Amino acid sequence: MDDLIRVEHLTKIYARGEVLALNDISFTVKRGEFLVLLGLSGSGKSTLLRCLNRLIEPTEGQIVFDGIDVTRASGRQLRHLRRRMAMIFQQFNLVKRSTVLTNVLSGRLGYVNPGASAIHKFPKQDVEMAMTNLERVGIPEQAYKRADELSGGQQQRVGIARALMQQPDLLMADEPVSALDPATSHSVMQYLELMNREDGVTVIASLHFLSLARRYGTRILALKDGEIVFEGLPAEIDAAKFKEIYGEEAEEVEVR
Amino acid sequence: MKRPKKSKSASQDSPWVRLYELRLRIAAFVLDWASWGYIAYGVIYLLNKYWYLRYVDFYGRLTLPGWGWPVVILATLELTVLSHAFGQSIGLSLFGLRLFGPDLRRIPWRQRARRFLALHVLLVGQPIALFTDRPAGTLLHDGKTTGTMRLVAKIKDDMPPEKPEKTWLTYRGLFLTCLLSLTFWLGWKITTINLQMLVERVGKSGHIWRDLFTPHFTYLTEYVNKRGHLYSITYHMMETVFMAFFATVTGALAAFPLSFLGARNIMGFNKVGWLIYSVMRLLFNVFRSIESILMAVLFAVWVGFGNPFAGAMALFFHTIAALGKLYSEQVESVDPGPLEAIAATGARRWQVVVYGVIPQIIPSYLAFTLYRWDINIRMATIIALVGGGGIGTLLFYFKNEVGRLSDAWNQVGAIIVSIVVVVWLLDYISARVREKIG
Repeated sequence: MDDLIRVEHLTKIYARGEVLALNDISFTVKRGEFLVLLGLSGSGKSTLLRCLNRLIEPTEGQIVFDGIDVTRASGRQLRHLRRRMAMIFQQFNLVKRSTVLTNVLSGRLGYVNPGASAIHKFPKQDVEMAMTNLERVGIPEQAYKRADELSGGQQQRVGIARALMQQPDLLMADEPVSALDPATSHSVMQYLELMNREDGVTVIASLHFLSLARRYGTRILALKDGEIVFEGLPAEIDAAKFKEIYGEEAEEVEVR
Repeated sequence: MKRPKKSKSASQDSPWVRLYELRLRIAAFVLDWASWGYIAYGVIYLLNKYWYLRYVDFYGRLTLPGWGWPVVILATLELTVLSHAFGQSIGLSLFGLRLFGPDLRRIPWRQRARRFLALHVLLVGQPIALFTDRPAGTLLHDGKTTGTMRLVAKIKDDMPPEKPEKTWLTYRGLFLTCLLSLTFWLGWKITTINLQMLVERVGKSGHIWRDLFTPHFTYLTEYVNKRGHLYSITYHMMETVFMAFFATVTGALAAFPLSFLGARNIMGFNKVGWLIYSVMRLLFNVFRSIESILMAVLFAVWVGFGNPFAGAMALFFHTIAALGKLYSEQVESVDPGPLEAIAATGARRWQVVVYGVIPQIIPSYLAFTLYRWDINIRMATIIALVGGGGIGTLLFYFKNEVGRLSDAWNQVGAIIVSIVVVVWLLDYISARVREKIG
């Protein structure tokens, strides 16, 4: 089977205030793709990503991950699915007072012996793997620092290392570079590209900037008010499409 | 006449749903009535004070004539309706309700007066209207004018910009000013504050002050042998400090796990969790409101009068409740981002707590525990008043010996000085430690 994720008629209504965040969305993601979600703030990108691993419960619809129905998975099944779907966040979401190493190791929590993890004990090969992954993202020397001592770009790289620990099939990146400056943005995006090309991890990343999407994405899905307004190759987005996604008053900004 | 548009589901709503939709308006009305009732009580009480026992008997019970009660009830009700129907009352603003015209603008005064009259005329019809097909959340007199009560918070974005009123010149401002002045006047009378007496009788306590400031440290280390039970100041001070220490440490250890059960963001994932959360919160609140000195009354009977174990148990239970509440509020205020991230790795719920919550709350836990330690020390010095043991045992012993012992007040002075020294010292240490943590 070629499809890693199949989303069918996904709808999310937030009960409080009855906001329709996602309206009947269907799409598929193939293995090895680098799919970029485009759209303004509030267009439903974050909600969509969080529905995929059910951090947010979908109201209606079906999500099939590698032939398994995510929407029906419960308890143990869902945890095992989540191990294969790593996630990185706009605000990095590291535990600030814990060390970098502990943060990276926490990516392993779904695999390890739960009793040992209660007293912060991880198998030796996991600790070695954590160090290897920190080397891969270029910050092995920061391993024993507290996470909040690191710069934004470094923190996001810790987030990537944590995701790598899960040895995932899918990486979901929720606006991974929105809180970073342009130069750091590219370095973080390049790590995602590396995971995509070398490890064969399928990536779904939501981005603000079209230029980043064109540079890194193999396919683009654009959302507006919870509906898909564009689906296709990066090159297919012309001025007219751009206005459709971002509104009439928008102008394209380059991130170099 | 323009009426609010009927929603399609209006006819399917049961009377209970309609009543529920009116809950804020009802709550506001009850609150307004209660505040007018309070004013009526205050006025009657003051009338009594200045027109000696006219409407209140010697024991402070209201004794209005037969016709008095209906008059009071009707008058307060009428005042409530007046302030409520004009859309200007305290209750309405407290529950975030405001009176609006259809275009979300203020309603002219003539319209408001019409609302007031319409409410009287349509009074009997209101309960019946619950069974008729009408928009939820509205009352009959809403239809007679262009006004409807609307929740401010819900429509703030749609509201046209309006000039804010000067708070003290509004009805609400004036009402609150009157309420506060009345409360102050009442409080003065009820607590029988008398500054004249305070000045005139200052000489009566003169020698006590003199004795207190010339403390006799006779029993600092010597045993008091009066009844064979009492020991030195040092001994009892040790009891006090360790009583507080034991209660703080064990109380904090017990409150730590319980605080997670009392945190909404940890427990609010299903019905059972909500139940546990609610029960924990209720227990915290109930035990917190029973002062430790009241619990000590019970434990002094249980384990023996004057036994420091009684005081330690009382402080222990109060510490659990107080720290449990503070702790769980800390748990609720953690950054949810890391919890989300750790849950997304496929971790179990308790692993999220261990790796995501606990590292975030440790500093404030320590600070709160030290703060509690300060409180427990203070409480341990006087818990002997009800037989809880500690330094208070000596303090109240000498206080009761006044008249039999010539230097009783000097002994009391010595104990108070020791308490001040020890409490100040421990406060200073804990403040320094807290500085380091913060």
